[in-house]
Amino acid sequence: MSTAAPAPIQAEKILKELENLWISLGQQEGEDESTGVLRACSMTLLVAIEEPPFGGEDAAAPDTRADVGETVAELMHDYPSRAIVLRVPMGDAPLLDARVFAQCWMPFGRRQQICCEQIEISATRPSLPHVPAVIRGLTAPDLPLVLWCRDADLLEAPAFDQILPLASLLIVDSRAVRSPRQWLAKLRTLESGGLRVADLAWTRITRWRESVAQLFDHVDLRGLARKIESVTIRYSTPDVPVAAMYLGAWVRACLGREVGVTLEQAGQAMPWVIQEMVLEGAGVRASIVRRDRNAVEMETSGHSTRLQFQRLTDAELVREELSIRGRDEIYERVLDLL
Amino acid sequence: MADANPFQDPLRFERRLPPCAVVIFGANGDLAQRKLLPALYRLAFERRIPPGFAILGNSRTEMSDEQFRDKMRDAVARFLEDSPFEQALWDDFARGLYYVAGDLSDPGLYQRMAGRLETIAAERKTGGNVLYYLSTQPSHYGPVIEGLGSAGLQKAPDEGSWRRIVIEKPFGHNLTTAFELDRCVHKVFDESQVYRIDHYLGKETVQNILAFRFGNGIFEPLWNRRYINHVQITAAESIGVGSRGGYYQEAGALRDMIQNHLLQVMATVAMEPSAVFEPNAVRDERAKLLRSIRIMKPQEIELNAVPGQYGPGRIGGEDAKGFRQEKGVDPEAQTDTYSAVTFFVDNWRWAGVPFYIRSGKRMPKRVTDIAIQFNTAPLSLFPSEVSSRPNQLILRIQPEEGISLRFVSKQPGGGMRMRPVSMDFNYGSSFGVRTPTAYETLLLDVIMGDSTLYTRQDMVEASWRVVQPILDYWAERKFDLPNYAAGSWGPKASDEMLARRGHVWRIP
Repeated sequence: MSTAAPAPIQAEKILKELENLWISLGQQEGEDESTGVLRACSMTLLVAIEEPPFGGEDAAAPDTRADVGETVAELMHDYPSRAIVLRVPMGDAPLLDARVFAQCWMPFGRRQQICCEQIEISATRPSLPHVPAVIRGLTAPDLPLVLWCRDADLLEAPAFDQILPLASLLIVDSRAVRSPRQWLAKLRTLESGGLRVADLAWTRITRWRESVAQLFDHVDLRGLARKIESVTIRYSTPDVPVAAMYLGAWVRACLGREVGVTLEQAGQAMPWVIQEMVLEGAGVRASIVRRDRNAVEMETSGHSTRLQFQRLTDAELVREELSIRGRDEIYERVLDLL
Repeated sequence: MADANPFQDPLRFERRLPPCAVVIFGANGDLAQRKLLPALYRLAFERRIPPGFAILGNSRTEMSDEQFRDKMRDAVARFLEDSPFEQALWDDFARGLYYVAGDLSDPGLYQRMAGRLETIAAERKTGGNVLYYLSTQPSHYGPVIEGLGSAGLQKAPDEGSWRRIVIEKPFGHNLTTAFELDRCVHKVFDESQVYRIDHYLGKETVQNILAFRFGNGIFEPLWNRRYINHVQITAAESIGVGSRGGYYQEAGALRDMIQNHLLQVMATVAMEPSAVFEPNAVRDERAKLLRSIRIMKPQEIELNAVPGQYGPGRIGGEDAKGFRQEKGVDPEAQTDTYSAVTFFVDNWRWAGVPFYIRSGKRMPKRVTDIAIQFNTAPLSLFPSEVSSRPNQLILRIQPEEGISLRFVSKQPGGGMRMRPVSMDFNYGSSFGVRTPTAYETLLLDVIMGDSTLYTRQDMVEASWRVVQPILDYWAERKFDLPNYAAGSWGPKASDEMLARRGHVWRIP
């Protein structure tokens, strides 16, 4: 294993490569009288992901790489950006490498393409300290930087202490964190420091929350939310998921008072996280139960309604967060309660 | 507010509908089956329909609730666009479908309807809210409105609930009958309960015209006679009249398209910004613009309005019949299957700027768009012919909703060789999400009580006042029709109308 310091990568060199890339795209497109490529950028999207080592035998590696690439490509259609994918392969060997390419798509079935630029940086943990300087040089001028940290552990790396101040939005996913309480405390600290934090575990429960709101629009329950005394949330994972904690705290935050929150494991493991939510009080009972992968049933006063709950992709979840301008005060209140 | 729902999250949740029952008159008809039911089902798929929701269909055909559900299931499965049909979701949705048969002129129908609505309100918890949708022939509007009035069905049972009525175009066959319809409607319903639907206003791009104009700072300063040379609005259809020959021969393109859809589009393009984005404020501005359109005198009509009718031709390599050969059409019909009109707006912003509007059937392709043509640069510095081409802003309404800005750019390399380039925004690819259909948008709006995208009576009257002199002038004359071949871009006289001002129609 080589322990030599990695050759430094320079932001200016990468920007030059990008410029050459655009020239070459323009030449390809401009050979006839077509209208050329359209270069689009509305932000810098920095995606950080931990990966098995290059050349390793872990079968998940190629999938993960493709998965992130596809997600970023999908997001670019709605939020054209300078995407910087920071891949952090596991391992102690110094590694710092970068390459550039364009993500293009044809919107009208015509020759003209819309293109966004993508920079991939690979850096092992020992090389991460070199990364913040590169990122600073690569950030698109005058546009926000969104940091999507796909692996919670990466935020512990000191390099991210230098990257976080550049970001106006941090997107994380608490679905698989090992110590939820500690993790949520960290998010609270970041949020109270002025950074907007978005958690995809929170985004995933939007439809549950929306269904609860819909239940209390129902004629039989209108105005009765104040009578809710308890909420029971059943989950299908071995440990209490952050999503269930969020749901319980959200009910408390909405009602502005204490209610009994019970988080309990459902009878059997299911391929989804939240199985059931029941809200009860004097003369009030409303429930939402997951029936299958794509549907839930809401029930109140013996009246039931089936709703579609299609599985959302990472791109769809991130898109929801990017669509929110400014702070998400409801999420911040919930985070403060946990 | 003590009863406010504390679980709301306006940042993330879609607008949710209040509970209600939708009564569809003409539920067995084309519009209900092709548009209304698929739109309502799609709203259920999107989780926008509240649990307390029901549909009560009506037509003359005797059917049970079950038979009606089966029929609507087939229609939704067949006409649903861009969405999967989920049987389980349909089963749930269908539980809220009911049917009552009856002749619209029979007062007993409305008594039976009142009984059904009471039962449905109890069963489905619709909260006493009812939306009546007139999806019938226009000749039935009067009897339905009178029937609802005589049964007291226009009155909400309590202060917290509502009754609304949606009326499909045409709103009258001419200015006189538009007044008559209005009198009939207002005998029973208050104007605040009336929603005149013009589905063009529900299209995303038409709504986006407002966002584009008033949400951006850079375009509005250019949006006036100093910078805009002229505006072209095109609504072309490749199909003929099909089975609607009988109806269409009485209507024509000017009545069927320009009087309503395209004048509304023009009003949206040309209106002043409203002080606030509230239904009546926006509609006031649209109405003001429509009232500012110059009403033509007979001698002006000859030069500024062109009727056309398609004769036989070829479209897509296939023979196409002429209008007079279509089923149900008089072989001597003088109907305008194509109309092109030059309008002028008499206000400070638009004085002297021609608005060319054309609409036709059996054109080379189906397209609706608006082209804003800017003035050329005051002095041409560059020798190329391209450099003198004016900038154009194209707002595409269908089929590919989007916006393009055309300008010229220097070609790389030595010398100053110019090339036209285009900046494009496309709804489908830029947002990556499905665009709701116009009916989904408008049904949501009416149930929410938002009339921004609905037409008001003063707008209907203003647009009739603009086209009525043309209709009258044409009715007194016999034209040499047909005057364009199916599959072409319209009659020569239409090109000549623009040529008189040094303009040419775009090929969209």
